[in-house]
Amino acid sequence: MIKIPTRVLLVDDEKDFVEMLGLRLEEVGENVTPAHSGQECLQVLEKKEIDVVILDILMPGMDGIATLKEIKRRFPLVEVIMLTGHGTTESAVKGLKLGAYDYLLKPAHFGELTVKLESARKRKDEQAERIRKAEVKLLLRKSGDI
Amino acid sequence: METIRLLLVDDEDHFRQTIAKRLAKRGLASEQAASGNECLSILDKKAMDVVVLDVKMPGMTGIEVLRNITAKYPETEVILLTGQATASDGVEGIKSGAFDYLTKPIELDHLFNKILQAYEKIRRSDAEQKEAEYRKQMEQQMIVTERLASLGTLAAGVAHEINNPLAIIRESAGWMRQLFDKDELKDMPRRKEFVKALDKVEKSVERASRITHQLLGFFGKSESALSQVNLAELAGEAIHLIAHEAQNRDIRIVRQMEPLPDTIWSDAYQIRQVLLNLLTNAVHALNSEGTITIAIEDVGDSQTITVSDTGPGIPRENLDKIFEPFFSTKSPGQGTGLGLFVSRGIVEKLGGTLEVASKIGQGARFSIRLPKHLNGTDEFHESRGKKWVEKIKSRFAE
Repeated sequence: MIKIPTRVLLVDDEKDFVEMLGLRLEEVGENVTPAHSGQECLQVLEKKEIDVVILDILMPGMDGIATLKEIKRRFPLVEVIMLTGHGTTESAVKGLKLGAYDYLLKPAHFGELTVKLESARKRKDEQAERIRKAEVKLLLRKSGDI
Repeated sequence: METIRLLLVDDEDHFRQTIAKRLAKRGLASEQAASGNECLSILDKKAMDVVVLDVKMPGMTGIEVLRNITAKYPETEVILLTGQATASDGVEGIKSGAFDYLTKPIELDHLFNKILQAYEKIRRSDAEQKEAEYRKQMEQQMIVTERLASLGTLAAGVAHEINNPLAIIRESAGWMRQLFDKDELKDMPRRKEFVKALDKVEKSVERASRITHQLLGFFGKSESALSQVNLAELAGEAIHLIAHEAQNRDIRIVRQMEPLPDTIWSDAYQIRQVLLNLLTNAVHALNSEGTITIAIEDVGDSQTITVSDTGPGIPRENLDKIFEPFFSTKSPGQGTGLGLFVSRGIVEKLGGTLEVASKIGQGARFSIRLPKHLNGTDEFHESRGKKWVEKIKSRFAE
C-alpha cells in the first residue's frame, strides 16, 4: 500500500531540531514544511495546504498557545500536536481545551510522534469527509428546490 | 514546688544542721558538706542547682571553692554566707560569679528567698538556652530551605535549557539510525561500530532526559489532583509494580494493613510515586533475599505508611544526606540521587512528613505520615520552600 504523505508543518524556534525531525519525518514518507516562529507558521498556513501542525509551546515572541488560538480561529480544520516541556503540562491541558489534537513531552519518542501524527491526520480527513458529505447534501437539497 | 537540688556547705555542724532542718520544714530538702573539699567531691558525683557556701572555713576558703564551682559547674548557682567583718568577701564573691551573698547572722526568710531566686535564674537561663538552640536549628533549616528553593529555580531553568539540545541530539541520532537502516548503507565499512556508538548516544539521551524530567516534575509548577485516596489500594498498586522484580530476587513482601484504613484526602498519583520510590529503594537495598514490610496505621488526624526492609541498613553518616539532592550510593547511571529528595518534597507538599530510621545491619524503615485532610488549596499550590521561609521569617519578626 502506498502511503499518502501527511502534510506536516513543523514549528519550533530550535532550527536544528526542526531540521533533524524534519529529515526523519520525510524519511518515513511525510511531507514536512519547517517554520521557526508563530508568525511564520501562520504565514505558511495561508499559502499552503497543511494537515497537521507540530507546535512547540515555548517559543519567543508569539508562543505556542497564542499561535494555536490563531490556527484554530483561522484554519479550524488543521490539527495541532503540541510539544511541551515536562514542567509545562499545564499549558498542554490549556492547549487541548483550545482545540489541539494532542500533546507530547519533549524530547519526544519518534515512534509516538508518528502514531499521533497518523491519528491526527485521520481525524482531519474524517472531518473533511463529513463536511464534504454535508455540502453534497446541501447542494442536492438546493437543486431539489429549484 | 519543683525539687531544688540544694547543697549547704559550712564547717559549723550545728549551724548547718539547724539551717537544713528549718529549710526542710519549708519544703526544701538539702544535702550537707562540712568543708570545701567535701562540697567539691559531692558536686563531682551529683549535679546541684544551688550551693549555699560559707566563706570562712578552715582549709579551702569559700572563695576558692566558689572559683572551682564556677569553673567546673557553670550551671550551679552559689550563695555566699559571710561574717559581719568579712562582708568584703561577699563583694569579691559576686565578682567571681556568686549569685549573691548574705551576712551572718542570717534570717531564714532571706536565705529561703535567695535560694528560690537563684533557682529561678537557672530555670530562666535554661529556657533561654533552649530557645537559642531552637533558633539556631530554625536558622539552619532556613538556610537549607532557601538553598533548596534557589537550587530549585536554577535546576528547573537548567533542565528546561538542556531539554532543547537533548531533543536535537535525540532527533539527530534517530536520523542517523534511519540512514543506517537504508539499503544503500547496508554494506558500509564499520557500519556495526557506528550503530553501536549510536546506541550509546541514544541510551545516554534517555538517561539525561530522565534527570531533567525528574527535576522538572518536582520543581516545575505543582499540579495536584486531590481526591479521596485509599492508601492500602495505592500501596497494593505500588507493590504490584515491583512484585515481579522482588520475586526474581527472592524478596518477600509483607503487608500489614489490617484494619483497612479509611480513605484520606490527598493526591493519589504523587503518593503512588513516593511509594514506588521507597519500594524500589528497598528492593535495591536487599539486592537478593529478605523481607519488605509495608504497614499502614491510622493515628488520629493522620495516617502513616511505613516501608521497612531487612537489608544492610544505612550508615549513620549517610542518614542526613540521603534526602539531599544528587546524593546516591548507587553506581553512576543507576540512580539519579533525586528519588528521596523528590519523595520528601512531595510528602511535605501534601502536608506530611517522610522520616527514616536505620541502623547498620538492622535494615531501614521509612515512614510517611499524611494528614487525613489537606487544608487550603492556595497554600497547597505555593511552593514548599517559599512557605517555609515565610513561616520562619515571621517567627523571627515576632
